Amino acid sequence: MTRPVDRMREIVDLQSQLQDAGYIAEPALVAALLLMLDLGRPLLLEGDAGVGKTEVAKAIAAVRGARLIRLQCYEGLDVHAAMYEWNYQRQLLAIKLLEHDDRPVAVKEQDIFSERYLLKRPLLEAISCAAQAVLLIDEIDRADEAFEAYLLELLSDFQMSIPELGTVRAVTRPLVVITSNGTRELSDALRRRCLYQYIDYPAFAKELAIVEVKAPHAAGQLARQVVQFVQSVRRMDLQKKPGVAETLDWTAALLRMGISVIDDDGAERILETLSALIKTRDDRAGFTREVVARIAAAC
Amino acid sequence: MLTGAPNPTPDLAAVLRARLAGFAGFLRANGYAVAGSDAVGLLETVARTGTLDRHILRWSLKALLCGRGDEWRRFDALFDAYFLPPNKKLFVASNVTAARARDSAGAPRDATEREPAAGSGHGRDTDAGLARHGASRAARLASTDFRDLNRAEHVRDVEALMRRFARRLKHLRLRRDARYDHGRRLDLQGTIRRSVASGGTPLRLAWKDRRRVRPRLVLLLDVSRSMSRYSFFYLRLARALCGELADVHSFIFHTRITGVGEALSDPDPWRSQERLQLLAVGWGGGTRIGECFRDFNRSHGARLVHSRTGVIIVSDGYDTGEPEVLAKALATLRRRSRRIVWLNPLLNQPGFTPESRGMRAAMPHIDLLAPGADLAGVARVLPQIIEALG
Repeated sequence: MTRPVDRMREIVDLQSQLQDAGYIAEPALVAALLLMLDLGRPLLLEGDAGVGKTEVAKAIAAVRGARLIRLQCYEGLDVHAAMYEWNYQRQLLAIKLLEHDDRPVAVKEQDIFSERYLLKRPLLEAISCAAQAVLLIDEIDRADEAFEAYLLELLSDFQMSIPELGTVRAVTRPLVVITSNGTRELSDALRRRCLYQYIDYPAFAKELAIVEVKAPHAAGQLARQVVQFVQSVRRMDLQKKPGVAETLDWTAALLRMGISVIDDDGAERILETLSALIKTRDDRAGFTREVVARIAAAC
Repeated sequence: MLTGAPNPTPDLAAVLRARLAGFAGFLRANGYAVAGSDAVGLLETVARTGTLDRHILRWSLKALLCGRGDEWRRFDALFDAYFLPPNKKLFVASNVTAARARDSAGAPRDATEREPAAGSGHGRDTDAGLARHGASRAARLASTDFRDLNRAEHVRDVEALMRRFARRLKHLRLRRDARYDHGRRLDLQGTIRRSVASGGTPLRLAWKDRRRVRPRLVLLLDVSRSMSRYSFFYLRLARALCGELADVHSFIFHTRITGVGEALSDPDPWRSQERLQLLAVGWGGGTRIGECFRDFNRSHGARLVHSRTGVIIVSDGYDTGEPEVLAKALATLRRRSRRIVWLNPLLNQPGFTPESRGMRAAMPHIDLLAPGADLAGVARVLPQIIEALG
């Protein structure tokens, strides 16, 4: 057994590496990431939009110096868009060029269906990378169940078969990060195969750290107030709660407007910047001058 | 926590392993989707993390053994309960008895024994007639008020009938697509791919199909006392629909609203029913439709309801809450969704008009108010619902 002291050091190390890469991670998430590296299992991240799920993959790729390969899922995603496709145009061209070639047909055919004419899509790309890559499968809940089943097969064997070419086995096993917004219930089989991490909206201290790292110009008083303000806004009954990205956008907006302190006197000017934070009409209607002044006064 | 000794003796190590492996079983008893193979992963994980630091163990096992949000939120309490001695007994006792009660409840297949007693006095005279002719039996069922059906021998018929309805829903959807066939477009890439076989001459053209119309259904079922005669059968409808269509999400409400998708999809119908009853146990009196819908909007609306979602509400509209809350919640829901259909089982009762405060508040925000007291009633409005969703 590893000595716990070593493990704790590993966690702290990775945490600081992630911070250097611009990602503030809680130790629980770091522990899960370490486990992902150890066990080679995919990591499934769930949570509301804008809590930084995608950033996890980017950060771990940066820390490992690995290539990040991203597969954005959408409804109707199929094998050709996710795994591979033949480059038909080039194949046709080749057929025309080979017409006056004397080689036997079988050889020509082999030539036409060689890797030169294969367009690698993210999944094939990820398993045929020479160095270990980070494969980000973003918003898997948007793809349909059939694709999920297909993915499951890939994630268990790390190989895929291309009828014309044969079976492609993984050169290196990619680190797989899967994110889901929960618009569709994922299958138990997929959940079972993955490590799981639920990411919540960051607490005050964590969000402050994020703002300080990402928007160094806002450090100090303004950063604290911004985070305080956003945290109060999240406690309100909103259709769309602002995520971390919104916090950073809003901070940038405030800086751009030359606002360096949030107080109830400046409510008018804060209102002008709220479009960076509040994204639906109904929610916007709830933010009158008085409401903003009240929240600002409490910051 | 588990042991203070830095170098456990072999015996102690075995005890430790058994104790750790038992945690997987403990979670399973508490409703986690943990398989036997997870115990292996657990030991492997522990071999890497060590057991002396409680936090590391907690974080690692949490990532390994949780699979969904609610498991994630309950994990810390269970972890403490299992590994910290004082609380442990209490937790294990309460949860295991609950699980055992559920298991034993699901075991007997004797339908008469398992059936809730409600409505047992209805329609005894129809029994003989029903047993004779299968076909006419179905016809008769189709126009029987649901409350007369609350008996065991009909359950299978109802299920079969519902399944047929669900199939019709699917069938109609497919036919709808087929009608669009003439409007399809040429798939250039596919055409070229096919032409490779004929030496580059595009003999066979490939077509792009129109994107499939896949409406999502959200069912909100009132299970309050005034609805008790109907809710059971609407749950059966929901269950049959879930079995047939992939994108159906069911909720029951009363004083609170809760998702029942998982309970409904339990392969054993009796255990499914048992789980539903467990879900609704301990709810207070009164129906707070408005507040329930508001809660639904808050916690599920953004996630579940989109512009292709049809919301089907089954309720008699007797709301003990404020009508303004209901109107506001429905307005919000209406904006998000494609259509809202309200089935009111009382609607075809002679002399009934939708005059209850709740119904009046709801009327401006719903697209279709339909009676739905019996199977024939549901059958009549089904095409309208499909039409609305198309």
